[in-house]
Amino acid sequence: MRELSLHILDIAENGIVAGGNCIWIEVDEARKKDQFKIRVRDNGSGIPMEKLENIDNPFITSRATRSFGLGLSLLSAAAKRCDGALRIDTQSGKGTEVEAIFRYHHIDRAPLGDMAATITTLIIGNPEIDFIYSHRTDDKDFSLDTRQIRAEMEKLSRSDPGSLQRLSETIRSSLKTLTTNESMS
Amino acid sequence: MMVKDLVDEFDLELTAGESGLDRKVTDGYCGDLLSEIMSNAPRGCAWMTVQGHQNIVAVAVQREMAAIIITGGQTPDVETIKKADQKGIPILLWPNSSFRLAGHLFSLGIGTRAAE
Repeated sequence: MRELSLHILDIAENGIVAGGNCIWIEVDEARKKDQFKIRVRDNGSGIPMEKLENIDNPFITSRATRSFGLGLSLLSAAAKRCDGALRIDTQSGKGTEVEAIFRYHHIDRAPLGDMAATITTLIIGNPEIDFIYSHRTDDKDFSLDTRQIRAEMEKLSRSDPGSLQRLSETIRSSLKTLTTNESMS
Repeated sequence: MMVKDLVDEFDLELTAGESGLDRKVTDGYCGDLLSEIMSNAPRGCAWMTVQGHQNIVAVAVQREMAAIIITGGQTPDVETIKKADQKGIPILLWPNSSFRLAGHLFSLGIGTRAAE
């Protein structure tokens, strides 16, 4: 995939399909440590052990149940190509945590892409699911928790269709502050 | 053949690096894995890729490429355009696949002499 945000969207959707009603998404751009970390956690049904053993094999997917799909093997390959790794922690009935680590400055590390659009897409497409998104750079962070803005969001989206567009803009400008200040230091 | 001849011949859209339009195109290369391109792309090539982030300009400069052609309807990031303008590396857009354009370039004789 051209952008890591597409992987994030993919894994978050896996979590939703696995029955989770809350998805945690973390992006950590530790430039000084030369490490780029993505973590997606859900409280869904978990990935069965036999599937987990074959996570690097794209020919074994669980399309039928879609507890995970082709995406994890692609993400694993992308992370390894960039001197990183994929770690999956899953517990039956409790949920799954997927962590992908890349070397930040590796030439083959895809750019993150449009996280504002990704998060907004998830929120709009899954109004019944909570999303907790946090994004860190070396010394700054941004977070968004739909549990805190839910009531307001529901009111707004019913009366004002443009409100979600504005949410996207808010996320986008906050993230811009994170990365702009960062590159000046 | 110069980059601007390619632009005219295939109606490519020029998005950046206008000052490099008179660079000479002597070869072609296709690929999206930047580490591989950095090792293998020939000097003076027109490079066809779907990547759009600013690293492509650094790779093009390092390999002394003639131009970058972003294929498949993809587009470059804003930073990529800025870097390409600074470095005078033309970035051209082609809506179809790299394979199709590479075939056209090859039939024009680009890269055939370099292979001898």
